[in-house]
Amino acid sequence: MSKPRVSKQQRTNDRDASLIEAINAGETDRFYELVQRYQQALFNFGLRICGQAADAEDMVQDTFLNVFKYLGTFRFESQFKNWLYRIAMSVCIKRRRRSKFAPERELSLDEFLPGDEQIAAETPAWAREPLDRLLDEELARRIEDAILALPESYRPVLVLRDLEGFSTEETAQILNLTSGNVKVRLHRARLFVREQLKEYFNHEHRRSA
Amino acid sequence: MSIADRPEHDPAHCREMFAHLSEYLDRELDETACREIEQHLRHCDACRACCATLARTVALCRGMPAHAVPETMSTRLREAIEKLRSGDGTVSGAGPD
Ligand SMILES: [Zn+2]
Repeated sequence: MSKPRVSKQQRTNDRDASLIEAINAGETDRFYELVQRYQQALFNFGLRICGQAADAEDMVQDTFLNVFKYLGTFRFESQFKNWLYRIAMSVCIKRRRRSKFAPERELSLDEFLPGDEQIAAETPAWAREPLDRLLDEELARRIEDAILALPESYRPVLVLRDLEGFSTEETAQILNLTSGNVKVRLHRARLFVREQLKEYFNHEHRRSA
Repeated sequence: MSIADRPEHDPAHCREMFAHLSEYLDRELDETACREIEQHLRHCDACRACCATLARTVALCRGMPAHAVPETMSTRLREAIEKLRSGDGTVSGAGPD
């Protein structure tokens, strides 16, 4: 496959471009700046995907070592950050055999269709409350557990879109999926997490009713 | 059949609208599709309630606090990279593709 030509525009849009060029020109001590920029985001990404801090640490380590090795081949065909997450994902997949994952299964839309559940006729009052009042430690843990309970083919989609803030197209590129596929999986993943938080939503609703 | 004539409690239509709620929340639908969903939400309590909690779910995920990096990780990482920089040590594992 021939490599697409990369415009100067693409390169200057990448906030990491000048640093990467410096590293590739021999200033390898500046690699730590790259590590500083992304280690926390990657570590949290690893936690969301693997669930265990030790696995997340190993993933970050392997990822940065591979970045160090392959940085010279990076051609700004995507944002550096997207390329970094592509490597992180392939490290996760390689390590998968060694860590525990939720059982793989398809999530169907029909299992989430609204049924006999209690339905609020109006938008509940809590839905307008500021987020910081709602997102306490216990809730954050429940959300983390819900994300970890997601089947493997849905979890990275939700993590990249809703926690890491990547666009649909970027997520598709990182995961080698079509945009349509990302949208379908994201919707089901969100419905799954919402289902796990149902008790919380009902409770919040009752409290504010 | 125009949007206005469509029976609002048709389960197939409801399912179709329900399938696109995330794209609706993400503003990834064109204007016509958006209007169709909004029309449905006005009439369907179940989808409206779901849409509200789904939006809240997304907002909660976006607001998740980040964990701090363990100091041991930074130290170990620095040591491993130092080894590579000095031309010692090998990298095994996954490349970008
Ligand atoms: Zn409906």
